[in-house]
Formats: sequence, C-alpha cells, structure tokens
Amino acid sequence: MSIVKRPDIKSSWYVTSIVKGMALTFRNMIYNLFHKDEMPTVNYPEEKYEYGPRFKGSHILTVKKDGSIRCTACMLCATNCPADCISITAAEHDNPEVEKFPISYEIDTLRCVYCGFCEEACPVDAVRMGPEWQQPGLNGSSFVHDIQHLTRRPNLKGGYTSILDEEERHNSGI
Amino acid sequence: MEAKIISEHYTKDEFIGIDGYKKHGGYEQIANAFKMQPKEIIEMVKAAGLRGRGGAGFPTGMKWSFLPDNGEERYLLCNADEGEPGTFKDRKMMERAPHQLIEGMIISGYAVNSHKGYIYVRGEYRHIIELLEKAIKEAYDAGYLGKNIQGSGFDFDLDVYSGAGAYICGEETGMISSLEGYKGQPKLKPPFPAVQGYLKKPTIVNNVETLASVKYILRDGVEAYRKYGTEKSTGTKLFSVSGDVQRPGTYEVPLGYPLKQLIEEECGGLKPGRKLKAVIPGGSSAPILNAEEAYKVNMDYESLQSVGSMLGSGAVIVIDDTRCMVDLLDVTLHFYHHESCGQCTPCREGTGWINKIANKIVKGEGRVQDIDLLETVAKNMMGKTICALSDAAAMPTISFVQKFRDEFEFYVREGRSKVKGQTYAQVHG
Amino acid sequence: MLKCTVNGKEIEVAEGTMVIEAFKQAGEDIAHYCWHPGLSVAGVCRLCMIEVEGAPRLMIACNTQVTEGMVVSNNSAKVQEAVKWGLDFHLINHPLDCPICDQAGECGLQDQYMKFGQYDPEMAERKVKKRKVVDLGRKIVLDTERCILCSRCVRFTDEVTKTSELGIFNRGDRSEIGTHEDKPLDNDYAVNVVDICPVGALTSKDFRFKQRVWYLDNDSTVCNGCSTGCNVNVYYNEKGYFRVKPEHNKDINDYWMCDKGRNIFKHVNKESRLLKAMKKTEAGTQMMAPGAAAKDVASLVKNYSSEQVAFVFTGQYTNEEYDDAMMYVDKIGTKNVFHWVNNPESFDDFDGILLRGDKNPNTAGLIKALEAKSFNATWEQLEADLNSGKIKLLVLAGPELQEYFPDIQEKIQLFSKAEKLVVLSSNPNPAYRDVDYLIPMKTFVEKKGSFTNFAGTVQKIQKMRLVVSQALSLNEAMQLMAGDELQVGANL
Repeated sequence: MSIVKRPDIKSSWYVTSIVKGMALTFRNMIYNLFHKDEMPTVNYPEEKYEYGPRFKGSHILTVKKDGSIRCTACMLCATNCPADCISITAAEHDNPEVEKFPISYEIDTLRCVYCGFCEEACPVDAVRMGPEWQQPGLNGSSFVHDIQHLTRRPNLKGGYTSILDEEERHNSGI
Repeated sequence: MEAKIISEHYTKDEFIGIDGYKKHGGYEQIANAFKMQPKEIIEMVKAAGLRGRGGAGFPTGMKWSFLPDNGEERYLLCNADEGEPGTFKDRKMMERAPHQLIEGMIISGYAVNSHKGYIYVRGEYRHIIELLEKAIKEAYDAGYLGKNIQGSGFDFDLDVYSGAGAYICGEETGMISSLEGYKGQPKLKPPFPAVQGYLKKPTIVNNVETLASVKYILRDGVEAYRKYGTEKSTGTKLFSVSGDVQRPGTYEVPLGYPLKQLIEEECGGLKPGRKLKAVIPGGSSAPILNAEEAYKVNMDYESLQSVGSMLGSGAVIVIDDTRCMVDLLDVTLHFYHHESCGQCTPCREGTGWINKIANKIVKGEGRVQDIDLLETVAKNMMGKTICALSDAAAMPTISFVQKFRDEFEFYVREGRSKVKGQTYAQVHG
Repeated sequence: MLKCTVNGKEIEVAEGTMVIEAFKQAGEDIAHYCWHPGLSVAGVCRLCMIEVEGAPRLMIACNTQVTEGMVVSNNSAKVQEAVKWGLDFHLINHPLDCPICDQAGECGLQDQYMKFGQYDPEMAERKVKKRKVVDLGRKIVLDTERCILCSRCVRFTDEVTKTSELGIFNRGDRSEIGTHEDKPLDNDYAVNVVDICPVGALTSKDFRFKQRVWYLDNDSTVCNGCSTGCNVNVYYNEKGYFRVKPEHNKDINDYWMCDKGRNIFKHVNKESRLLKAMKKTEAGTQMMAPGAAAKDVASLVKNYSSEQVAFVFTGQYTNEEYDDAMMYVDKIGTKNVFHWVNNPESFDDFDGILLRGDKNPNTAGLIKALEAKSFNATWEQLEADLNSGKIKLLVLAGPELQEYFPDIQEKIQLFSKAEKLVVLSSNPNPAYRDVDYLIPMKTFVEKKGSFTNFAGTVQKIQKMRLVVSQALSLNEAMQLMAGDELQVGANL
C-alpha cells in the first residue's frame, strides 16, 4: 500500500502555480502575436493543414484511362477488411475484356479504421487511400460512401487514373 | 557401296505396274509364305533381326508375337504417314514400287493372321493415294488380294486411308485414332495396339520399309539377310539424304555403313568450298551431331546411340558451315509447335514456349538466360508425355544448344547471326 | 487384395486399382487435374507423376495399375521437380485473372500451386490469347483462356450424358474447348461440367459473380427436387442460399446431379418466402404469427366434428414430420387423410441417369406413414366429399417446390369447396390468395429429418441457416392445430 501525502493547506490555494501558468500563456500569446509564421498550430477551419500525398485518408476508387472504374469487383479488399466496412455487388460487364465490374461499392467510413489493408489487398490499384481527411456529414448515412462519391467526388477533380493500364496489359499478353 | 535389295528396281518404270513387277520376281514370295506356318514366318523375321524402320527401331518379329491369342479379329496397318522432316524414303518406294509394299503386307498379314490391312498415307501424299489405289486394284484383279488368295484359303483385304496431314498421325496410336475417324491424337499406353488397337482390336502397325523388307527376308533367307548390317542392326536400310550435299536422294546401304562414306561417296560430298558443320542423322527429332561426331559414326542403331543420337527414320540432314544453327532451331521448333496435338500439357505448352524463346533469340530480342531456359524447358519436356513428340522437340533443342552454344550466345549478344552476320530483319526483310 | 507401398505406407488395395486411387486410399497428396474418379482416364495433365521402384522413367499414377508388392512414391526430388514443371506448363498460358474468376478460392490451379508449386515463373514470353466469355447457352459461360484442356468436361458429355456436345478444337497451344459453332450446351446435366472443371473455364451463369466462394458455408443434404434423392451440398451465408453442388454417393447419384436440382435453393431465400401467417377476415387479410395462426386453426378444428375435418399431404415433407403429423391426425380423430399426387401421368418416368418423374423427395415416406395408420382414403372420395359438403375444414400441407405442381390453381379451387381452407406453405402462390389461413412453413434446409427415396433408401437432411425463424415445421403446425402446446426446444 502506498501512502499519498496530502499537500499542506497553503499549497492547495495554487496561487503561485496560477501566476506561473498565466505568465507562460501570456508570454506565448504575445510572442505569437508578433511571430505568426512560427506558430505550430493552424487556425482551423479558416486555415487547413495539407498532409503529404502518402497520407492514408479518405478512400478513392481509381479509374482507367477512358474514365471507367478500375475495380474488378474481386472482393479482396472486402475480404481483407478487418472492420468489415466494404460491401460490393458485382455484375457482368458488356465488354468481355472487362468481364466483371462493381455495380455498387460502398464503404462505411464510420466503421472504417483507416488501416489501409484494402489498398494493400487490391491486385489492380483500384482502391487507394488519399490525402483528404475531412468528411463532415449530417447523419449516419452520409458517411457511407457510394461508388459515385469514391470515384468522382469534386475533390478528386475528374478522378485518379490507375497506374495499371488495361490496354498495355492486354498488349503485353498478360 | 550401296546394297540394293529393296531399291533394286527403283529406276525401272515398268516396276510400278503389276506386270513389270511380276517380271522381276514380284508376288513370288506369297506362294512361298503360304507354304509355311504363320509362326514360322514370325520366327524367321525374328531370326533375321529385322527392326522397325519407322523410327523407334523396335524388333518387328517381337512386336508380332505380342498379339494375344484370343481369336479376335486383327488388323495390319501400314504406316505410310511419313511426316518426319527430312524423310522421303517411303514416298520413293510407294512411287516406284507400290506392289512391293502390297506383297510385303500380304505376307505380313498372313504371318500375323490378319485379314484386313490399311495403308495410312500421309495427307500431303495425294498422288500416292491414287498410285496405291491403282496398284491395289491390279492386285485384286490378279487374285493377290481378296478372298482365298491364290487358292491358299487365306483372305486379305487392303485399303488406302489418309488423314488431313498431321505429323502426329505418324505415331502409331495417333494414326489409329485418325483411322477410327477421331482427331489424330495418340492414345494412352497401356493398352498397346497389339492388344487393343484399331477399333479396340489387336493391331499391328508397321512402317512401309519394314513390311517390304519381310518379302526379302523370305526370298533370301535369314542368313543372306543377316549378311548385311551389324550383329544387332541387320539388313539394309533406306536413307533419305538431304541438305547441303551434291546429290541428295534415297540411298540403300547396309546398316552400320559409315556416315562419312555415305555423305562423301554416295552423295558426292559437300558443295565445293563448304565445310561440314553438323548432321542430323535420323530426321529432325534426332539429336544433332557435330562434324567430328558425324565423321566417326556408323549408321546403325547402336553406333548412333553411343554418340547420343538415333537412327530414327533414316533421314540424314547434312548441314554445312553456311547455315545458322539458331535459325535452324527456330524453324525446327516452329514445326513442332505447329504439330503438337495439344493433348498433354508439357508438350502443348512446352513446344509453344521453346518456339517463342527461339523466335525471340532469332529476332534479336533474346536475353542471356534464355539460352539456359531453352535447355531447361526442353529437358523438362522429355519423357513426360503420352507420345514422343515432346521428346522429338526437346532432343534437337538440347543438342543444338549444347553443341552450338557459341552461336546462340553470339546471337543474343549481337542480335545477329554469327554465321550470316545479318539480323533477322536483314534476312527476312 | 494386393499389397503395395505408397510413400512408405503399406496398404492393401483391391485388384485393378490404379496407383492414384491407392494414393487417395493411403491419404497421400498427389497432384492431378485430368483424372476424375467418375470419368475415364485421359492421362493428359501429366501431373500425377510417380516413381515406381524398378522403373527407369517416371510414370503417371492415373494410368498405372497397382501390382503385388509395388513400391511407389511421389516425394522424391525427381518427382517434385517434374510436378513443379508440370504446373508451370499449365500456368504459362493461363491468364491469371483470379480477381475476376469465379473459381478463385476453389480452383485446382490455386490449390495445387500452393501445395506443389510456389516457384518463381520463368515465362517471359507473350501468352496465347484465346476467346473469353463465350456464351454456351443459358446455363454456362466458357473462358477458353483459363482452360487447361484437362478434357474432363468433354469426357463428361461423352461418357455420362452421352450427348457429346463438347470437343477440343484446333491443335497444340491453340487448342480450345468448345461446342460446334458455339451451339448451346443445354442438356439436363450440363452444369456438372462447371463442378468438374478444375479451373474457372466453365462457370455457371446462375452463380456467376453472385458471391466469392470463400464467403460461403456449406452443408450436405438431400436434393428435394425428385424422388432420386441425390446427395448435395448447399452453399449459403448470412445473405442467403446461393448454390447447390452434388456430393459423391456411389449408390445414388455418383458424382453428378441434374440441372433442375440446382434450383432447389431459390425458393428458400427470404425474398420469395412467406414471412407471416395470413388470416382472411371480413375486414381483409390479417397478418399474424404462424404459431398464433395454427392455434387459431385449432379452435376451428374443435368447432367441427372429426369427420368434417380433412387433411391433404404432399410428398415434400420429412419422414419425421409425417410420423408426428399422423399421430396428431389420429388425435383429431379423422380418417380423411389424402395424398395429393402431382402430375400422375409422368410419375414413373426416368431419364436413365438421375431424373425421375416423381418430383417429390419423400413420396415413399408419405405412403409408408399413411399405411402405418391405415389411412387409405382415395382421391375420388375426397372429391365426392368436397362436392357433397361433407368436408367442412380442409388442411393442406402444400408443396415446397410449387413449380412441380402445375395443377395448384385447379386443386385449390377444388379444396375451396370446403367451408374453411387452411394452407401450410413455405412460399406464397397466387392460388393461395383466397384461402382462409395461410401458414408459413420451414423449407428443407431449415429442419432436420430424413427423406425416403424411390428405392426406399432413407437419407438424412440437415438443418442449416434459418431464413424465416418463425416458420413452422409440419409436425409443429399439426401439434398446434391438434390443440397441443409446443414444448420449448422441441425443434425438429
């Protein structure tokens, strides 16, 4: 058993501590007022922090050169997902070279733990985690992102093109 | 010295027709055969040491004695699907002496107690089908085929059949499949054709030259036949010599004949100013011999085996120093890739693979490791399939790479032929 | 019996056994694609390489017979090298489009690569391109690029259905499986080729892209599509039931099943089920819990004398349900028990392979249950009693597979002649629109029990995932209707 010694009555008034603390605060406040560029924090939401491109934030579904979705609906991301937040419905594509594609691809970002396993599991560079990190919403359903949001939300500026080119792949006979 | 037994009368046009054939002792051996018991003929063939002339060199008499004694109908098939690149000895015989084959088949049919024979002719030999059909009709008219031949009580019917022209139909079970009306694909062994062949009946498949030789064993007797050739490789053999010699053609020499002599005496040697580089002694599937090996080898089963090659169908392809071995291998492999029946995976995929590698090297896109890969892939195709086509593609590949590695390395390094000094594009435009 | 040694294990096998079967018997792994126990030996994949003591060359296990004292092995470095290369030859022209291939997860190439391969590929050349997504009729899609030409499907159509639609066209590495002019592969057993295809070359249109196989559980049961009683595996997960595959049973269906049987899971899924009991009242249709509805019927039963109550059964329930049901019928005290035979004219048909005209899994069981209680009322009697108004309350234990009861509308009209008609059914049907009570029942995957097939073989069925948890089984419904309470936990 350890015995906690009570501080004596004087020190429980905290006067000296308060004065010390306030001095520090004011000193920094005044310093920062004149040295704005050295400030380590940003004035959110007026100012926003830009993370590096490798930051694992919001999911993106990449597109092929022709703008169609890269995902082949193999479900490996959904299989690998530890939070079970990806649900995909596959369908037959008219083009036999594509064969299979997702007609729905939903990520429940409230369940998502942003581990990046989906990105790792993807054999065709179809799902990536992008640098965005803000995603406000009004209700639960606005956090379930559908295929449209994941592929072509305005922030993506027309969509990310996958590094894996279908045509190249077919030409090289793989 | 040539020893002309089978090809004795090849030069005479009259030998093609039945009358001319009979003038030179034709169909005399049938009567001789009928005086003997079938078993005696088989024993005679065994004693003569006749070996299959189609490629594998299996003792004919032994093959005949594999037939089960169960009273089932038997078939005698003549393999005239001479598909091995470089081989044309059977064509020559069927063109110049069709009756010789028919007589051989009647005697063999009698020996194996078969009453129905087929001559399976290569699809490309259209003119020979007509020739054979004419000869068979003559034989029927003269009473050598059909019911009760020459009053002996022995019946024998003979037909000509042809496929669409596939190399694999020269393999005996592939030929049987084709004859049955299926796609020409080799069948799994066992059961062997001698037990379950054409239409699931006991079947004997022999090469044209083998069947024709039977007649001469009967005519001259075992001792006279064994006088030719070596102890284990008896008799004479037709060799189809092609390539860079002065006089290519079919030559009949005793087995055990030195290859050097065959090239230099019979064929008139190489073209002036050329040097011998290599010889393929037994058709394109036989491992290649370099000049040194070629000059010391004798043309018989054992001698060729001792230098790691084989007698095969006796197609001698002579290659002189103006030929690029990489080019040659590319062409050879293209053939096997095209002709693989596609049944067994190692052959189906392997022939395609090595052809692509060889083609890449020829086009100047090869990598250094491709040379070893070529050899490794080929080695892993060996002995893995139902028939020997896979081996037939692998053996030349291995021997080409091993014996002429410098040419392959040069090609990979420089992107052009060591011999011709030109790139693929320069040669082929 | 012959003694032989397989990888050092001494075993005894029957005469005529092939080495590959000896391997299976000894529990030893052996790679193979073209060999299938239900088909002839093709010997083309060349993977089942073995070393036989005393033989110079490697041999294939599928075409080598076991001889007395034979010592075979496939664990030497030589064999392993051969198998590795055999696999590589299979894979060099395989498109490796596993992400979009339906077979992924149950693919022979994947499995055997993990077991025997695991090498770095050396193929740097272009692959051979072949046709993809070839439509072979309404059941099957063919991908010739994925095909490894094991010829199992060709042999199946040659040997089992004897219809020979499939063939291998062209030669060498240009070989392709196909039908003449892409004619449909449309025989009654066509989907079996999907099961035997070791890769994803043949895929079933019905299952294509619906689920990845690793999301599915499976349990074995008995097909309720006809009286043959094929052993099947039903595949399901929390989203529903997705497919049916045959399970080997040497005496009944061997390795096969018919294509009609592949649809037996479709009526099970929630969207096609009856979820609540319906009671017709003057105010309209009242929805209620199935148990409550059955208790309601019990009060109706009491209103009538026992002769006025009749029961009609179809041969689609289990033996156990019938036994209990007959017990409760006895308790109610009626002798009016009838057997509704669907399409009686084709009842004895048989296609020579598996399909039978009797589209009920348990006709034999029903007949036996009826005979045991000597209920022998004829159908004519039922018609007469309904017409004369003698039967006031009729309870129909309706069919689970309604498609095989083409006369359902007509029969319901006949049954409606009774004052009150109670229908027990797993699925809704337009014909049931005006019945007085419609009570949801369990389907064959939601209950335990057994079916007796045409030959009298009794086979167990298994309870898998409940789709409609409130639904009743026949014995539960009968028990409630007879006025008894259900015991807690008594769940057949």
